[in-house]
Amino acid sequence: MLAMFGVFLGLPAILPWIGGYTYLGTEVMIWAIFALGYNLLLGYTGLPAFGHGAFFGIGGYFLAVSQKWWTGGLWLPLLIGILGTAACGAVVALLVARKRGIYFALLTIAFGVMFSFLVFVLGTWTGGEDGLTGLQRPSAAGVDLRGNLAFYYFVYAFFVVSTIVLWRIVRSPFGQVIGAIKQSETRARAVGYDTARYKWAVFTLSCAFAGLAGGLYALARFGAFPEPMSLQQSGNVVLMCLIGGGFASFYGPVLGVAVFLVLRDFFSTMTDHWMLLYGLLFMAIILFMPEGILGLVKRLRQPAAFHDTREAEAARTGHEP
Amino acid sequence: MPDLAELVTQLLNGVVLGLLYAIIALGFMLILGTMEVINFSHGVLFALGGYSALALGPYVGWWGALLLAPVIVGGVGVLLELGVRRTYGRDPLFGLLFTFGAALALEEVIRIIWGPRGYTVSAPAFVAGPFHWGFLFYSKYRVLVVLLAVVLLGLVWAFLERTPYGAMIKAGAHDHEMVRALGINLTRLRAVVFALGAALAGVAGVIAAPMWSLKPTIGAEAVMPAFIVVVIGGIGSFPGAVIGGLLLGLTSGLSNLIVPRGSILVMYALMTVILLWRPRGLRGQKSMLEL
Repeated sequence: MLAMFGVFLGLPAILPWIGGYTYLGTEVMIWAIFALGYNLLLGYTGLPAFGHGAFFGIGGYFLAVSQKWWTGGLWLPLLIGILGTAACGAVVALLVARKRGIYFALLTIAFGVMFSFLVFVLGTWTGGEDGLTGLQRPSAAGVDLRGNLAFYYFVYAFFVVSTIVLWRIVRSPFGQVIGAIKQSETRARAVGYDTARYKWAVFTLSCAFAGLAGGLYALARFGAFPEPMSLQQSGNVVLMCLIGGGFASFYGPVLGVAVFLVLRDFFSTMTDHWMLLYGLLFMAIILFMPEGILGLVKRLRQPAAFHDTREAEAARTGHEP
Repeated sequence: MPDLAELVTQLLNGVVLGLLYAIIALGFMLILGTMEVINFSHGVLFALGGYSALALGPYVGWWGALLLAPVIVGGVGVLLELGVRRTYGRDPLFGLLFTFGAALALEEVIRIIWGPRGYTVSAPAFVAGPFHWGFLFYSKYRVLVVLLAVVLLGLVWAFLERTPYGAMIKAGAHDHEMVRALGINLTRLRAVVFALGAALAGVAGVIAAPMWSLKPTIGAEAVMPAFIVVVIGGIGSFPGAVIGGLLLGLTSGLSNLIVPRGSILVMYALMTVILLWRPRGLRGQKSMLEL
């Protein structure tokens, strides 16, 4: 983990050498916060939540709305972004915590899209399709954040803190329980855990991180816009987790974010029809490398130790545990 | 206050829309129920149906397209199923993501072939123009749509309920281990179901094409109502899909009278209300998918 922090610490210096730019690094960290939080839900609890992009967007809107119409400033809107998104997530989680598998996915998709429509309907506050622009980046503790570099390290601080917090969550008893839920929810319930409550908590937590990331993103772009809330962007974060190996490793999402954003920049310069390549990439990853890069690495290095428990269970019994 | 003619028109529009939603949702649900795959590409298959009508229309007429398009789209469905196969038995997210990727790719293919502009498909000649009954002027074509939809739904129902193959499909949705144990070729069954589901989406696309402008994005717009219908009606229930579709269509049509821009949101509000009242959907049965 320290290595990763070290890499990101020095990244702004390295990036121009490899054809990147500081803002890309900032974006990577922001999405990494989102993806790491989301992976709590996806990779660790095994809950197929789709449509999480909506919460990312909501975070941005909470920050933007509160900065523009309500309080102004930096810290309070950010806090509102986190708490507001977590609250929305808590409400949705109440409705979906008792479901699993396909039904769960279906509902999360529906709610995700619903929130993005809500943004359009509340157009007078949210700026509708054009988004809410004119945000500022007030100084944080006396440091002017308007420059890319300063903002990079601002986000870096959050990145470090988020990673550490998530790491602790995953390594805690709570983390053990959600891992148990992933392996077999029935068994977890049989042992006496109220799995619905844990699922609710994980969902809400992941939304809190999504809100943080979304708020930071709005600050980065000086505005909150509806397109991160689209289904396609929700698909993006899932792909990010998957490519990097979210099912297999804690750091998978971070790697996945980096790979994804680099590829995105690359593809969009190559052709107008990049969406075709993107869709094909999606399909290829699912078919041939669902455990992601880090999963592949793990499998090659320690064939005996690696196994996707859900797959093993499914292979043994012929259906889902 | 809207007058009576307007009200009736919107109600009829709601029925038309609702029946279309029901057909799309039915195809979606067949795939969902039998393979537990959320077919994200269902919307794009709908769009493909419409574009097939556009492409084939000049050669075989609209009726020809009506018969051919489901075959074509069903074929695409079979190809998709080949890919989805690898995701069976694993995290449902994989099947979903695969079809999601397919949806994006296919939509882009549509854009490459036909371009991003909108097209209009004309209705067959004998139903062009309005239908006059008393104070009511209604599009003749839409009346035809209602008739076609009812016939189609009836055929699908008869297939599922009255044929042995339909029974196998229902059984496969309920307990696929047992189905295999009974010696039924599950692989072929799944391919057929996917093809059937896709074909239904394709037919709906052909039917809908003359009513709405044909753009590459109508696929993405059509897939969400299918989701909502399945959630409202309950997974695994044929009447649920029909009732759900009609309900959705009617509320959408009626809300167009009152809150024109918010009709989509009304759909979601309806879904939330029904979920709170009946968490499994109106006609859903308890399944492995919930606690």
